[in-house]
Amino acid sequence: MTGNGFRTKLVRGVPLVEDPAREACFTCVDLEREMEEWPDMSDRSRRERLHRHMNNECGALEIAAQALVDFPDVPWELRLRLARQAADEARHTAGLLQRVRELGGHKGEFPVMNFEWGLATLLPSMAGRLAVQNRTFEAGLIDLLGSLQHTWREAGDTRTAELLDAILADEIVHVRFGNQWIRRLTEADARVLLQVAHAVRTLGHTVRALATEGDVNRSGFIMGTKPPPAVNVHGRLEAEFTEEEVKEVLRQAGFRAILPHHLGTAG
Amino acid sequence: MTFTVRARADAIATFRFISVSLMETLARWVPTTPELEVKVLFGRHLWELAQHADAFGRRTAELRLGPQVSRDPAPGFLAFLTTLRATTETAGRIAKFYDGALSRLESLYRDYLTRTDGLLDEPSVRILERALSDLTRLRHEAAEVRRERPEIGTVERSPDGTEPSPSLDAVVQFRSEQVGAESSPA
Repeated sequence: MTGNGFRTKLVRGVPLVEDPAREACFTCVDLEREMEEWPDMSDRSRRERLHRHMNNECGALEIAAQALVDFPDVPWELRLRLARQAADEARHTAGLLQRVRELGGHKGEFPVMNFEWGLATLLPSMAGRLAVQNRTFEAGLIDLLGSLQHTWREAGDTRTAELLDAILADEIVHVRFGNQWIRRLTEADARVLLQVAHAVRTLGHTVRALATEGDVNRSGFIMGTKPPPAVNVHGRLEAEFTEEEVKEVLRQAGFRAILPHHLGTAG
Repeated sequence: MTFTVRARADAIATFRFISVSLMETLARWVPTTPELEVKVLFGRHLWELAQHADAFGRRTAELRLGPQVSRDPAPGFLAFLTTLRATTETAGRIAKFYDGALSRLESLYRDYLTRTDGLLDEPSVRILERALSDLTRLRHEAAEVRRERPEIGTVERSPDGTEPSPSLDAVVQFRSEQVGAESSPA
């Protein structure tokens, strides 16, 4: 049981908070290999991508909402930001559900995974959650959306591309306030850095334990063979990552980047 | 006769407390409500309550109570908020929140508006008028979700929603004389 009253579960030996409430039509799974995913842009693949994204946005809504419950004593301005984030993620969820339906899909058509909820709500500090949820997961989404909207546009689906572009704009705001508040909390109390370090260690340990490279998912797709999304340098700089931090991400990503003109050959 | 500055501050700070509490209630319900459309509704609406709380908190500073100050409501209303928060079924949550809590809040705001000085306390009046407009929209949006998910919306109206709303005096714990010598300009 966690401090906030949720039960935990063990997945490949690491603890995660049990899934948030989902309707019976959804199948919740714990591992990527249990998901369905296709590398092409077939109708089925499009619906699965949007369905997966919808559940991820729903998870982000739940994480932001739970932070309001778990940390009532953080500064009001931060709570206000979290409340706004929850509302943004709710709108994203609704927009994606609408698009899933427009493409002939429905809730529960594909399995869903609540990994981000399971990890983020396990963390006992506000700064730790900002570091993992806003600065890591949502920053990863900045990269992903930077690439994906082009993929959808090239596939002829301008409507979905525009939806993803609107979501990207909001996510940049969420990452930016995460960065700003980690700085503010750290400046107020240097011990906050320990909380951030603990959160990042937990994230690394959990991701390594759940790594699925080489596994074959339910659709027959070999996990780990798809290249990671290009680093969205412009988006990350807008979200107030420092140039040094962006260069570090570029280094880790092997320099696959959407480069802004003013950075030239970043790195 | 009209409210003293201190009495206005007490009331606005109590409204802030209630708005924060309702925001937290919706936040608590988001991960524990299965229905996606309802989860989304609660997620969008908790931000509305947060904005109301913020506006009240800015006003408490202007009313010399300090920024973002909250005051506990009277024990009876506090108990109502606590009971509301403990609701577990989706249908009950929607009914108790939108039919019960928000209608009570509307009643309190209207009570305040009829009793405060519209000129001297105009900033509070504007905040409350906007909040009332928002609350009406929130209730309409909840009704839309009930129509979209009729199996949720067919629940009986919450008994809380049929009880008379408490008066301002029964909810706000005034810490000074409520009325002063200030009078409305002729």
